[in-house]
Amino acid sequence: MSQSSSTGNFDVASLVEDVNLRRVAQYALVVFFLGFFLVPLETGIMTAIKTNESVARSLPFAPPVGEGFTLGNIQFALEQLSGSFFNSLIMSIPATIGSVLFGSMAAYGLTMVNWRAQMGMLMLFVVGVFVPYQAVLVPLARFWNNIFPLARMIEPMVASIPFFQGYHAELVPLVITHIAYGIPICTILFRSYYQSLPNSLVEAGKIDGASITKIYRRIILPISKPMFGVVFIYQFTQIYNEFLFAFTLVTGSDAPAAPVTLVLPAIGASTSGINFGIRMSAAFLAAVPTLILYVAFAEQFAKGLRTEA
Amino acid sequence: MARLTLDDVTKVYTDEGGGDIVAVEEISLDIDDGEFLVLVGPSGCGKSTTLRMMAGLETVTEGELRLEDRVLNGVSAQDRDIAMVFQSYALYPHKSVRGNMSFGLEESTGLPDDEIRQRVEETTDMLGISDLLDRKPGQLSGGQQQRVALGRAIVRDPEVFLMDEPLSNLDAKLRAEMRTELQRLQGELGVTTVYVTHDQTEAMTMGDRVAVLDDGELQQVGTPLDCYHRPNNLFVAGFIGEPSMNLFDGSLSGDTFRGDGFDYPLSGATRDQLGGASGLTLGIRPEDVTVGERRSGQRTFDAEVVVVEPQGNENAVHLRFVDGDEGTQFTATTTGQSRVEAGDRTTVSFPEDAIHLFDGETGDALKNRELPSNRAIDAFVSN
Repeated sequence: MSQSSSTGNFDVASLVEDVNLRRVAQYALVVFFLGFFLVPLETGIMTAIKTNESVARSLPFAPPVGEGFTLGNIQFALEQLSGSFFNSLIMSIPATIGSVLFGSMAAYGLTMVNWRAQMGMLMLFVVGVFVPYQAVLVPLARFWNNIFPLARMIEPMVASIPFFQGYHAELVPLVITHIAYGIPICTILFRSYYQSLPNSLVEAGKIDGASITKIYRRIILPISKPMFGVVFIYQFTQIYNEFLFAFTLVTGSDAPAAPVTLVLPAIGASTSGINFGIRMSAAFLAAVPTLILYVAFAEQFAKGLRTEA
Repeated sequence: MARLTLDDVTKVYTDEGGGDIVAVEEISLDIDDGEFLVLVGPSGCGKSTTLRMMAGLETVTEGELRLEDRVLNGVSAQDRDIAMVFQSYALYPHKSVRGNMSFGLEESTGLPDDEIRQRVEETTDMLGISDLLDRKPGQLSGGQQQRVALGRAIVRDPEVFLMDEPLSNLDAKLRAEMRTELQRLQGELGVTTVYVTHDQTEAMTMGDRVAVLDDGELQQVGTPLDCYHRPNNLFVAGFIGEPSMNLFDGSLSGDTFRGDGFDYPLSGATRDQLGGASGLTLGIRPEDVTVGERRSGQRTFDAEVVVVEPQGNENAVHLRFVDGDEGTQFTATTTGQSRVEAGDRTTVSFPEDAIHLFDGETGDALKNRELPSNRAIDAFVSN
């Protein structure tokens, strides 16, 4: 509007005509929701860079002024979180790669290869998506602690890897659990993509003499790159943010192998009350890896789509 | 290079209700070493299914499929040494032209890399696409993609080529060019080829022999001219040839064929060939219908011109009998110079040596046209 008013042929009548009640309401709604979603975020960031005193005295969303500004909170949160960051990443990266890769393989086998009982197998995968977390927690803990104490078995081995400590072995059962739990949903996501691919690609591969596994590795896997981007983002976010399995298998925020999601609730809380500055800083720091992934993979994803077309 | 034999090959699908659907029924074919066989028929006739059974992409329900003396029934597509060109080309979208063409050699042979490279380059030279080696399929035109798909089959030097309507996605001009080129290539390479098409022009012009399929059953196998001049039955007669043969349903009454709007007296010799069939169908090719000329000793009928389609070299003239039903029309081709216009009254005649007669019930050919020299055609056919 302001642009058109600067040009010569400015038409007041049409402007008035444009401003009807419906449009006004539409814009009002947009502005309202923009504020609704952005203000908490802005408040969080402002709180993260304020001193305790400033948090208590100024409005929550007001920026810090003068001595109210500090980077101390972020620094402190980073120190507190650094160990659990490492834990989270070495847990969620292999778990994501595992579940995405296995999901893609399963989807290929269930969609593009013909064999008996395919439908029944697919139904099992679908059911797997709906198994509630709560129902498996106790059996899961008993399995990894009593029946098959994998963490204890491989502890010496893990301790001998550089940069790793013995307690990191506790993350291995968690990785396996996440892979197992992630495969059904990944399979179903990939399946819909593979169903859209022409079957003649697999047939051409067969006639060219390639085995079923070679067709997957050399034809289907490279073609599904864009889908990998999508599923990888989704699955990484799921696993990185997951709390319940981590809490069950690693137990407690003070465990040395605790991932970020376990440590986060404990940061900034003490007997003297809650330090909001530190809490907010930690929360934003914890979100950084997923944000980085979104940015990095979004580009890769778009590129993948372009080369496809 | 080898002989491909189909022995009573049958394909039965089971639908969801548990019922059986027969897609291909007892097809027997003997495809000679180096032969170019065209499988032709309307859509849904089972020609693609037959081809896919040869490729190993569908299982054979009954019967035997042999390459030379080797039974192929249980052999997977990977181990058949057969190359196939798909209608959709099915090029690997992420691989360059070079990658597409070398993939088969890498997977099915143990050739060293530099030999694969050399063979790919020789093949692209032959097809005139050597400047496209590093492009991806998405960057190629339809015609170029078609050549790459062809090259992917040729480069492997297989025993048999299978082609599933490879030209149907090209525009008319390019299709005509590729038709000639495919024949040239096949002749040079001498590889046994099975070519599936629904286009009877491709069937007529390309194949050494044509196998006409309808409703899962083999109707006729023979040279294109054989199928054209001596169709086994009504289906082949109507399917082969463009414009298609005129067919008139009627009945035999004494020595006369009574059709809708015309009576056609048959000679004694012709009459003897018909046996006891009473319901008949009379067929005549459009180019055998003479329009306007009144020749002595021939049966002429009054007809009215409905539509004329000029094509330059010749006209397709759509006619109807003056005494006949409005809906009964037939076609004649006349030379491009002849002047006939819609609405004209004219006379047509059907020379008796050019007519075909079919059994009205079974559709079997009872009498085919006589040719100036049947021996000449026989000589042609047997070659």
